[in-house]
Formats: sequence, structure tokens, C-alpha cells
Amino acid sequence: MRRGTVPRRPKRGLNLVRREALTFYILISPWLLGLLLFVLGPMIVSLIVSFSEWDLLSPAEFVGLQNYERMFTRDPLFWQSLKVTAVYTAVYVPLELAGGLVLALLMNQKLRFLGVFRTIYYLPSVLPGVAFVVLWMWILHPDVGLLNTLLGYAGIEGPRWLADPDWALPALLLMSTWGLGRTMVIYLASLQGIPQQLYEAAAIDGAGPWPAFWRITLPLLTPTIFFNLVLSIISTFQTFTSAFVATDGGPLDATLFYVLYLFRQAFQFFNMGYASAMAWILFLLILALTLVIVRSSGRWVYYEGERP
Amino acid sequence: MKRFGLAAHVLIVALILLSACGPTQEPLVVEKQVTTIVRETVKETVVVQGTPEVVEEVITRIVEVEKVVTATPEPETPGEGAKIILRVGTGDSGEGLNPHQEIIARFEEENPDILVQLEAVAGRDYYTRLLTQIAAGDAPDIMQVGDDAVPMFVNKGSFLPLDGFLEGDYPLDPSIYLPGVLGPGQYDDQLWLLPKDFTPLGVYYNKAIFDEYGVPYPEDGWTWDEMLEKAQALTKDRDGDGRTDLWGIQLTANWTTGFEYWIYAAGGQLISEDGRQYVGYLDSEAAIEAVQFYADLYNVHKVAPPPADFALWAGGNVEFDNGQAAMRLFGRWPQAGYRDNPNVDLGVVGVPVGNARANILFWGGFGIFAGTEHPEAAWRFLRYYAGEQGSEVWADWAIPPVASVAEDAGLTEDPIEGVWIDELEALVPRAYVYTPYWGETADPALRRALETVLIEPEADVARVMQAAAEQAQTALDEELSP
Repeated sequence: MRRGTVPRRPKRGLNLVRREALTFYILISPWLLGLLLFVLGPMIVSLIVSFSEWDLLSPAEFVGLQNYERMFTRDPLFWQSLKVTAVYTAVYVPLELAGGLVLALLMNQKLRFLGVFRTIYYLPSVLPGVAFVVLWMWILHPDVGLLNTLLGYAGIEGPRWLADPDWALPALLLMSTWGLGRTMVIYLASLQGIPQQLYEAAAIDGAGPWPAFWRITLPLLTPTIFFNLVLSIISTFQTFTSAFVATDGGPLDATLFYVLYLFRQAFQFFNMGYASAMAWILFLLILALTLVIVRSSGRWVYYEGERP
Repeated sequence: MKRFGLAAHVLIVALILLSACGPTQEPLVVEKQVTTIVRETVKETVVVQGTPEVVEEVITRIVEVEKVVTATPEPETPGEGAKIILRVGTGDSGEGLNPHQEIIARFEEENPDILVQLEAVAGRDYYTRLLTQIAAGDAPDIMQVGDDAVPMFVNKGSFLPLDGFLEGDYPLDPSIYLPGVLGPGQYDDQLWLLPKDFTPLGVYYNKAIFDEYGVPYPEDGWTWDEMLEKAQALTKDRDGDGRTDLWGIQLTANWTTGFEYWIYAAGGQLISEDGRQYVGYLDSEAAIEAVQFYADLYNVHKVAPPPADFALWAGGNVEFDNGQAAMRLFGRWPQAGYRDNPNVDLGVVGVPVGNARANILFWGGFGIFAGTEHPEAAWRFLRYYAGEQGSEVWADWAIPPVASVAEDAGLTEDPIEGVWIDELEALVPRAYVYTPYWGETADPALRRALETVLIEPEADVARVMQAAAEQAQTALDEELSP
């Protein structure tokens, strides 16, 4: 900047704050337009559709709360799908949070071939969902699959996995653990952001690895755990691909996930109204859960910028 | 700590790598497809394969072309560039598109005023896409629909009735067809679609296995008891490790439409003819007998290999393909593969007779979009496709619907194809004919019932079927209530 020049204000109108705001909106407008057109618009339409009966072809017919009433009072499959999804979420989310953390801790050591291991663990996360599931269907095949073959060597007769209503959901859980790499990477990034001095100071004070983990690592990771928790709950509630490809909700509706049932109503039976109503209930459920977690976060999430 | 870390990694990675060296087997047939969309024109073959977004673009382009063409008035004798463009929608993919393309090429040669464009959308999305296109008034002029979807599309007014065309300027004699193959295209006493391809059920058998154990081949008119006898004679533990490794007959697990055969063959029905009652039908004595017999083949006699995966078509079993099952009850679909399969010395026989002789048809056909701008041109193509000319092409791929063509190709006398054609005599209408709600009411209930009796051998079949009938009835009443 040349000495003596003063940044000139525009002659009239916008002050700096306003101008910044304007630039902000212009810059995010592509995203904003996308949100309005492709998310908010369809959401509002689906809310309206949820009060109607519509099969895509005949004109929609307004039915008031009938879809919601049927869902809550006369549709056992709705409750079954909710139950399956809730059970799966309750087991998988803690598993993903803990498993991802353990992997990240392992990956945070100074080891030989570290890059190779990191790649290997993260690799399944970038596999396309369907290919991934088909591969696992092979592994889980009751007669010729890898898993039961290995169990057979150990003298155990493996269950019929996806064909057994008691084992199908656990089998899908097992399958999903291959996706831990995604959580691991997020943990890893934040693990490496923890200042080394803290550990050095702790070591000088005589703290072993275990207290260091509990007193330093874990507290400083809470924002990441919080983030992973919210993300994990949202995505687990929307589980679809694995059940769609591997079990089609069966056997005996043991893996009838909420979104799979919603998909059936919408695109197999063409009950767009009912499916939209289901989508809204799911949205409200996830919203409520997320709010509860966000509200509770003040008690257990520690941000470094805050006062101790 | 570090040592342990490394060891843990090596262990986990070894486990993952092991998954690459499992035992080699015949590829598991995965019937569900990821949507791949292919569009081809015949003059210059353009194949677009990729994400739905890319394909949307292509389809839009076709639409624009059509608009330009229809804006110009059609001359009496069309000159260059004034061709009628017909769009044909199909759910077929891969090799299934070959006969379409061949017929289209021949048709265009003989009808220079018409250009036919094939729009193929494979996978479960096909009907959804058709419905949205129909709703937007922009569906293909000629659309392929499968048997049980016919009532839904007809009820929604998607198709033109064909009866008027049969005796018009381009007549078609409906009596030229093999018995029963026009049936699925008829609804409400009108003809809406003409047949593309079709198959009844049959029983494949592996002659090599029958010969090895000196069991006589099954013959037409055989019964359920004879089937059980042969299956028992051919269920073996060949290597003596205490596990069955040769199965008598590979059945179809929880495949509900295929199961309709068993109920009809037991002398039962799945729904009342007015389409309002499952109770008294799904839980009738005949239906219970059918389910009991079927379940016993799995659970008591143990002559059928247990389903590998209930989510896969007909249980996903591969035993017959691998030469580990002597018989298989199924449609004509895998036959071409079996003829080339070194594990299989193929024979085919009709389905066994229970209390009655019965068979059911699986069928795909073409109809004309009610909103088409070229009904006459569309009819000309449809008539060609499903008539003698098209049938001649089909004779190379499957059983052609026109009787004289099948005969001239020697198929009626063929020891294998002749069986499928004979089975057409035994056809009974499937349940969807009586109610458009079959798919969302009884189908899930029947599926659940079949899974229950296969998974829980101790389950009481009568009670399971009563529960299924009630579940289906409740769902149906919900649909029928105003």
C-alpha cells in the first residue's frame, strides 16, 4: 500500500458490515439456491403430500391426518421398522465411536508402515456401498462363505447369518464395522491437534499412559466425540443400502429398517403420502435426538477456548 | 506398547487379506441390480452407461428432438427428415436388449417412415420412472410392463386399449398365439398389451446324476409323491462326512409368486374371485396342505438345500448349477446357462401334479402409452414386434409367442422347449389378476409365512397360514375401505 493513501469508502449506501454481508450471501448463493430448490422445496412438498393419498399418477387426494393415524395405530410393520432401527442404532453408534477411537489411537503411534495401515483401514469407507455389501454377502454365505469356512476350521458350525432372523441384524452390524475408517480419520485429525507439551508435562509429573489418556486425550477429544456422535446417529438412523441389497428387510422382517420400509411404501407400493408421512416422523425423531445431544453437550464437551 | 500395536495391525490386516482367498465357487447370482441405464439407437449405436444424472441429460435430448419433429405437419408420404420417432421403454438390460434391437432394425428397414428409439432402464427404478414419465405426459410411446404390474398401469389409464386395432387397417389375428400367452395382457375384458417373452414353471433335472444312481428320469404327468420319491433317492452324503452334499431338488425358498403354483396344484386358491377375501383361501385346507408339503421337503425329508439367502431370488441357492442337486423347480430363465454348464446334463419336465395339474406364467409385454401422439405408428410397431416377424427373431432367444413360428422353428417337438410349450396348457390365472393390491397386502404376509415355516421347523403350518391370511386381510381391508 502506498504511503498516504486512505482506503476510500464507497460514495453512498453500504457500510463495511453490510458489504461484507452482501459478499457473504453472494458467495454462498450457489449452496443457498441448492438448499432452497432441492432440499427445502421438496421438504415442504413432502409435508403437504404427507396429508394426502398420492400414487404419482392420479391426482393427490387430501386425507388429513389419516396417514399418521394409520402409522401409529394400524401398521405393525411401522413399529417393527422403528424397533429394528432403534436397536441397530443403540448398538452400532457406541460401537462406531469406541471402535473408531481405538483404531485412531493405534494409528496415532509411531509405527513402521503407518501410512499403509491407515490406507487399509480407511479403504472400505471409500468403497461404493453396494459393492461393499455384495462382498460381505459372500463372506457371510452360510455354506461357502469365508466366515463360516474359518469357523468350520475352528470346529464351530457358524450360523446361517443373513438367512437367520436372529443373526441377520448382528451380521449387518459386523458388516458395518468395516466403515469405522471414516470415524477413525476424524479422530485421528483431532488427536494430532493435541499439543505434545501436555503429554510431556504429564510425563514429568509422573503420569503413565493410562492417566494421560483419561486426563488429557479423552477430554480434549470430546468435541470430536460429540461431532462423531451426532453424525453417527443421523447416518445410522438412515441405514438403507446394506439391508436393501443383502436382506431386503428379511428374514421375517428382522432387518426391516425404517428407511427401507419407507422406500417400499414409496417406490414399490407407490403410497407417496404414507411414505412422506414416514419421512417426516423420521426427520422429527432425528431432530429431537440431535437436540437432546446438543443440549447435553454443555455438560461433557470441553472446548479449549473455554475457561477451565 | 508399540510392539503390541504392530502385532494388532498385522493380525487385523491378515484377517482382511484372508477374505481375498476364500474357496472359489460358481459366482453367487445377485439378482438386484444397481441402476445402469443404457440407451441405444440402431443406426449409430450410442451406449451411455453411468450415473443417473448423465442419463437424464440424454433422455432430455431425445424429448427435445421429438418436439421439433411433431411441430412440423406430417406429410402423406414422409420425405427425408420427417420420420415419426417412436420411443420404446424397456426394463431389460445387457443381453436382454439384443432381440429388441434386432427386431427394431428389421422393422425400420421395412417401415422407412418410422424411427424407433429404445430406452432401457434396468433395475427396480423402472416402474417409478415410467410412472413419473406418464404423470408428466412424456412416457415412451410403447412401454414394457411385467405381468403383475399390468392391472396397476391399466387402472391408472396408462395404456390404449388394443381391441380396436385388431381389426383396423393393420389387422392382427389373436388366435395365432400359443395358449395362455395373451392372458396377462388382458384386463377388464380388454386387450392392453401384447406378449414379449414368458415362461411357466418347470423342473430341470441333471441326467448325469439320475444315471449315476439308476433313478429313472421324471416324466410328464408325474406327481408330488413321485417327486418326493426321486428326491429322496437322490439326496446323498457322498463323502461320508455326515453332511448332505447331493440334494434331491432345489426349491424356491420364500419366492412368493413361484409359490402360487403349489397352492393351485394342491387344489386351492389364494384369494376369492371378487378380490376381497384372503381369509378362507390363504388359510384353506389346500393352501395349508401345499405349505406343509413344501416345508416338509425342506425340514422333514431334507431333500431340498436350505435357502442361502432369503433376500436373493428363490433363496439364492447354487446347488443345481454346481451339480450338487439332481432337480430344480424354476422358470426358463437360467436354461441357456445350463445348456453350457459342464456340471449339468440337462433335461426338463413339467411341474409335478398334486391334487390338480396347474402351472403359472411369468410374462412381460408391450402396450401403447395412452398419451402417445402416434397411436397408429405405435400399433404398427407393436404388431410387428409381437406378430410373426418379431416372433421369428425371438425364436432364436426364447419361445416365440406365435404358435406357427414356434412350430416352424421345431420348438414344439424339441425335448426341452416342447416341455415349456406343453406346460402352457396347464396355466391358471395368478392372484394379482383378482386384486391390484396383492403386492402390498398378501405378498408380504405369504413371504413371512414361508420364511417362518422354513426357519422354524416346529412351527404349526395351519396356524402360520391363519396368521398370514389375517394379516393380508387386514391390509386388504385397509386398501378397500373408502
